[in-house]
Order: sequence, then structure tokens, then C-alpha cells
Amino acid sequence: MNRLTSEQLIAGLQDLPSLPAVVMELLSSIDQENADISVLARKVSYDQALTAKTLRLANSPAFGAQVKVATIQQAITFLGFQATRNLITAAALSGAFASGRCRGFDDRAFWRHSIATAACARALARRIRFNQDFAFTAGLLHDIGRLVLVTAQPDAYAEVLAWRARHGCEWREAEAAVLGLDHVDAGVALAAHWQFSDTMRQAIAWHHAPHTPGAGSLAAIVHVADAIVHALDLSGESDDVVPRLSGAAWDAMGLSEEAYLHLFRETETQFSEMAAILLA
Amino acid sequence: MIAATRPTPLADALPGMVLSEPLHDAKGNVLLGAGMVLTETMLASLARHGIALLPILGAAAAPALPDPADVQARLAQLFRRQPDDDAGNGADVRAGAALRRYVEAYRLNGSTGSTGTQPGAAS
Repeated sequence: MNRLTSEQLIAGLQDLPSLPAVVMELLSSIDQENADISVLARKVSYDQALTAKTLRLANSPAFGAQVKVATIQQAITFLGFQATRNLITAAALSGAFASGRCRGFDDRAFWRHSIATAACARALARRIRFNQDFAFTAGLLHDIGRLVLVTAQPDAYAEVLAWRARHGCEWREAEAAVLGLDHVDAGVALAAHWQFSDTMRQAIAWHHAPHTPGAGSLAAIVHVADAIVHALDLSGESDDVVPRLSGAAWDAMGLSEEAYLHLFRETETQFSEMAAILLA
Repeated sequence: MIAATRPTPLADALPGMVLSEPLHDAKGNVLLGAGMVLTETMLASLARHGIALLPILGAAAAPALPDPADVQARLAQLFRRQPDDDAGNGADVRAGAALRRYVEAYRLNGSTGSTGTQPGAAS
């Protein structure tokens, strides 16, 4: 048994890669509508790799800028501030964590799942008239705690993988059994450490328990998107499993079968476009 | 839009499908013209003429529909942790079952869900 104490978890957070300062700023200020756009555009443009990836996303059909954008400032003009902020976050996060530290952990499958959940949560949010940009970022970040555990405790996490393979269960069950805490705990700790906005923090904390009073709509959206993406097999993992779906969250979406079938198609299309750029 | 041909084995051809090109026998005689809508009688007759492959009109990119048994087996595996009637709250059971049914319909019929346009697809 490798019981992981919360002290060890916090210590592990210090070893995490540091995100570009501008991305940290974006994550902590997502609730603020009036951030200074020109300052953001300038800060991002200092990071050439980040700028290039963000612009490729902005020009992909999934985001559909009508005009080909060549600068962050143009992306903000044509796509909007919030949407551009999402793209920057996705571009920064998907390249930030070193891969291969934990034997058996498939980090490409992790990012496939996260990107697909972001796309699905955004599409769901549009249908139920919720803020699409919050949904996108929350979908992208919902399982980030798994990367925290893998990065902080690569050897112990290899045991989690083995335990899960033996039991065919959900990740958090295996994590709790081996480590004594799960990726939701780790995600919440990271959200505090990286000073995510309260909205994101709540969505991460409750994405497996959206029926909890006060969990909020965003947790419900991410919960349903997560289940859909598992059901659509988009991570590409042969032992993938759909986490137990909450009837309360499902009913809160209130969508018809036809709406879901279109949502599935939209999710798959956007996922493949984004994955081609982010996981190149 | 350019009419695309989907080469279809005779065994998989169904009444209602449309020929995209004229169909010739081994001697080069035209058996059926382009645009003909296939019937049961025609299919039986083509079998007697030794026709193996038919040029069927259809979207070029339309992938073959997956085998329903494969789809159901994979979904059973993916949904293995959903509660059943005895083990959980009714709303959760219904939600899991609905998602599974929708994904199955999506896999078997595509996003439009228009089962009416798939000859013989009624289960």
C-alpha cells in the first residue's frame, strides 16, 4: 500500500511543471469579463510556440474564424476574448506535462479524453444555453488531478494502473484503493495551488458527484460530457469504462435523443480537428 | 454532387438500392441500366447470371455500417459499471440506459437517426 498523505500531495504539486505565467493568469481570472485584452495579447505573443498552436486552433474548422487570423489580437477580434482564452489554455496545458514518467500511463489517451470532453461540454453548454467557454475549459481540466498523481507519484500510480486492470473499475476507485485519495482530491488541490477560479474549482470537485447540493450546472455539464466521451470510445483505451451516470445531471440537460445524436457527431468532428493540432 | 459508386457484393445488395452504372453480363450485354431500382426479382435473376459485385449508388465515403453484435458487445463492456435495476437509484439506471441506447443508435444509424432511409435496417 502506498497511502498518499495530503502533505505528500501538496509537496508533489511543487514539482509540477510551471505553466506560462499568462496561462496561470487566464485560469485564475476566467470569471472576469473585463480583463485587459491588449495586455493578454501581448503577453501570449512573447511565447512563440504557444502563439503558433493557438493560431492553428483558431484557424481550424472547429472554431471557424471567418477570416484567417495571424495574431492573437486578431483571434480575439474574430473569435471573442473568452474563446481565444480557451484556445490558449488548451494549447498550453496539452504540452505542459512530461510524458513517460509512469510506466503504463497513456498520456495521449488522457489528453484525447480531456480534449474530447472539452469539445463535448462546449457543445452541450450551447444546447442548454450555458456559458460555452466555461464548459470548454472545465471539460479540459476535469481530470487534471490524474496528471498530478502521475507526476507526483509515478511508481505508486503504476500500481493504480495494475489494480484497475485487475478490477476493471473506474479510475477513482483504483486510486482510492491504492493511494487513499483520488484524482478529484488531487484536482482540487491543484486548483487551489494554481489559483483556478471558483467556477473551475467547483466543476473539478463535483464532476463525479453533480447531484451534490451546490455542485452547480457546470459540474453537471462536465459529468454528462465525460460519460458521453467515454461511451463514444474517444480515448482509444481498450479497457475504457463509462463512469456511473447521475440521473439528476442527465435529466438537467433535458435533451432529446435527436439532440444527443447531433451532439455525438459534433463532438467527434471537433475532437478530431483539435486532437490533430494539440497532439501533433 | 457527383454520383458515387459503392461496389457492393450481391449478397449484401438489398431491394431499393439504385445502380450507379449499367450492369453487364460476361458477354457485355446490358442486363440493367444505370438508375435502376433493384427489386427482389432482379436480385434473384442477377444471381443466376453469375453477377458477384454490383455498382450501387451511394455516398463514396459512407462507411459500411458496423455489425450490431460488435457494437453491442463493446457497449456492454463500456457500460459495465452502470448500476442495474436492483443496485441503484432509478434515475441513474434510466440515464445510463438512455445514453447507451443513444450511442447504439448513433453507431448503427449515424447521426441523423433516419432509420427510414436504410433499407432493411429495421430491427
